[in-house]
Amino acid sequence: MSAKSVGGPAPAAWLAIAGLLLVVAVPFAAVVMQSIFPELGQGSFAKPFSSFIATLNDGALIGMAGNTVLLGFCVVLASAVVAVPLGVFRALYRVPGAALFDVLLLVPFMIPPYIATLGWIMTLQPRGYLQQLLGFNLSPFLFSLAGMTMVMAFNTFPVVYFAVSRTVEAVGARYADVGRVFGATPARAFWRITLPLSAPGLAASLMLVFAAAIEEYGTPAALGRRAGFQVLVTGIDLRISDWPIDLPGASIMSLLLVGLSIVTFLGQRWILARRSYQTVNGKPTAKDKRPLGAMKWPVLTAFIIVSFLATGVPLLSILATAMSRTISGGLAFDNMSFDNFLQVFQNSAGALGALANSFSLGIGTALITGLIGVTAAYTVVKTKIRGRLAIDSLTIIPNALPGIVVAVGLILAWNMPWLPATPYNTPFILLLAYCCILLPQTMRYSTAAFQQIGDNLEAAARVFGASGITAFRRILLPLVFPSLASAMLLVFALASRELVASVVIAPVGMQTIATFIWRQFEQGSIGLGMAMAFIAILITTLLPLLLLALLRRSGLVAE
Amino acid sequence: MFKSLKSITLGAVAAVLMAGVAHADITVYTAGPQSLIDKMSEGFTKETGIKVNVFQATTGKVMARIEAEASNPVVDVLISASWDTATDFEKRGWLVKYSSPNAAKVPDFLKSDYAVAQGISALGIAWNTKSGTPKPSEWADLTKPEYKDMVNIPDPAQSGSSFELTAALAGQDDFKLFKDLQANGAIIAGANAEALNPVLQGAKAAVFGAVDYITLAAAKKGESVEVVFPASGTVIAPRPAMILNSSKNQDEAKKFIDYMLSDAGQKMVAAQMLMPARSDVAADRPLISDLKLLKFDNAAVYGKRKETLGEITKIFGGK
Repeated sequence: MSAKSVGGPAPAAWLAIAGLLLVVAVPFAAVVMQSIFPELGQGSFAKPFSSFIATLNDGALIGMAGNTVLLGFCVVLASAVVAVPLGVFRALYRVPGAALFDVLLLVPFMIPPYIATLGWIMTLQPRGYLQQLLGFNLSPFLFSLAGMTMVMAFNTFPVVYFAVSRTVEAVGARYADVGRVFGATPARAFWRITLPLSAPGLAASLMLVFAAAIEEYGTPAALGRRAGFQVLVTGIDLRISDWPIDLPGASIMSLLLVGLSIVTFLGQRWILARRSYQTVNGKPTAKDKRPLGAMKWPVLTAFIIVSFLATGVPLLSILATAMSRTISGGLAFDNMSFDNFLQVFQNSAGALGALANSFSLGIGTALITGLIGVTAAYTVVKTKIRGRLAIDSLTIIPNALPGIVVAVGLILAWNMPWLPATPYNTPFILLLAYCCILLPQTMRYSTAAFQQIGDNLEAAARVFGASGITAFRRILLPLVFPSLASAMLLVFALASRELVASVVIAPVGMQTIATFIWRQFEQGSIGLGMAMAFIAILITTLLPLLLLALLRRSGLVAE
Repeated sequence: MFKSLKSITLGAVAAVLMAGVAHADITVYTAGPQSLIDKMSEGFTKETGIKVNVFQATTGKVMARIEAEASNPVVDVLISASWDTATDFEKRGWLVKYSSPNAAKVPDFLKSDYAVAQGISALGIAWNTKSGTPKPSEWADLTKPEYKDMVNIPDPAQSGSSFELTAALAGQDDFKLFKDLQANGAIIAGANAEALNPVLQGAKAAVFGAVDYITLAAAKKGESVEVVFPASGTVIAPRPAMILNSSKNQDEAKKFIDYMLSDAGQKMVAAQMLMPARSDVAADRPLISDLKLLKFDNAAVYGKRKETLGEITKIFGGK
């Protein structure tokens, strides 16, 4: 099991450490310093720790922390209930139209949560699209914990669906078949063999969902406040946007969130540390899937319903709003037009520049997080160097840091007067922010992939004379590449729509897709904002699909 | 992959160099509408040749950025949506004293030694004309059964002017109006735009204390919405423009303030459906002289901000 003898971890480890220090440690250190020294922004170290008591004594804090955890668990549960069965069927059986469903279930990733939430509000509120079409509304349901859970779960469950379908597929039916040969029933073989072996992927994805749910701002802000449901992130945002600004208080509350995330992460590690999950060992696996038989129609119906709710409803609502001349005109034929789309293409309010900015930043972020993520994951899983846990934990932190706090940390760190050169007020500060926020994605996916690769593969390469770097590049990298590539595509999509940090930290005069949409909403041009959102969703969905198709043709990605 | 990485890096380096070349002369942070600042900086650059770099967000986000930048400030001119900012920054000693020659026609209560209004918004009732409810004319009308569950209130914790309206009205009858509103199913619904959106679609009939210019602009676009200014009085929100004393470009910043208060600049303000700060510039909307303003003691109201917001939270049941 030891990889020490395999050697050659140094270059990967150093690259990972340098990247992590720059991307994660710097802003995080600034946040910690800010929480300790309230006047850090003015460059003063006076009154250390003076903000802790006031912040932690706030009676509302416990309620907010409790709500945060409750919401996180509800979203994880709902995502798992929706995604795990679908993922398992997708992996083990021939689902008709599986490729199409993969695309449809990919789209929710690409819909920014605040846009999806607004889409749901405009559909379900009184006189919303549902009532205009069918005569009833679901407003009481939407503005409740249940409604919030539904909207957020439909946004995040694809993380679980794709993780489960990929890992279960990798585990394959082969191990379960062995169980069957020895007399296990199909159900028993699934519960005792397939599911446990898929645990790394499942646990990693559920953890990402939990971290995303406790860090999410848009949905709790739009739905929760009306239900009297305040979470830590909305509390943090209030401290930052309510004059007088309370940066130390916000930093302290963020550290609480980080603590929550680390606990989840340690729990996940504990589950995984108890046994080995290596299933990729160089032996050929049969990829033939079973026919669904009598289950065909129920399974197909489930896929259709979930796709419609997760992708159809928000997209249709966004499209309807984007095409409405006036919101008060409603779904009437003479109220429909393409004016808002035309405005985007005529570069109204800098729309095209915003698209170009966001997509360049998205590509840059995907490449950088991919590189740091894969080297860090390799260092953590496949080497025995000291401080592995520290590296692993460092990649967890951004998961829980709210975007707005990352932004503040970056300003504090990079706007210090004595710095000879700084990325602040250049597009690079956005790149740093996105890399920090999204690094956990590539890191977690690559870690799960590395955990499934047997050490004997790398060892075999070394035996045949390959150097450590060659073994990494020729053996390990191709094996984790499918996971890494999908994580990088996800990062691209998430980076090109990031809102919360961008609003605060964008260099002067620069717009991104999300800040453009947000400004349109603020000024009451909901239709124009939605048209931009629709175009952005379309591009972020089609671009990665095109890329995947090209990669497949070139044989880099199997399937 | 590495080849493309290389080209990205090259592109990035080039971008940085470009950013260094395109160094702007002044930096304006504004909480006002993006299209207004875009037009204003374009006009200003045309007239003076001085370039303007803009950061636009809500007042809260602009302040968060300034606070985080405090050790090494970037901003030259700040335009806030709340006069409170000007008072506070003046107290901290962060502002430059300046009276623009163009400010002569700006009424005294819209300027101080350190700040001058760019434009003014007022709060009113935004009412959906197709909502099937009678047209309200007073704040108290919205407590009537016709408006049961049909009223949104912008969050006073997130908007300076909403807070002033809340404090002024609550001071008149010790929160009775707000208790009645709550009993009638009114809810606190996020910031200004968030509160207005449901009224446009018809989920709600009215916003209690909507920012007027956004609603007026929506009506101009054809939305079936109207602004009512209650005869009993409302509050206005002058948007102060100020020059930071950390600015290294104070002369250029002063020229920007001059341009903002010029005929051309004030017409741009009026085109956004805001009230111009200068009393001699016309606008196609009700002006301050047409409105009755609620009387309240600014210092006392802001002194009790926490208590007032706490009471509102208690009434509307947030946690």
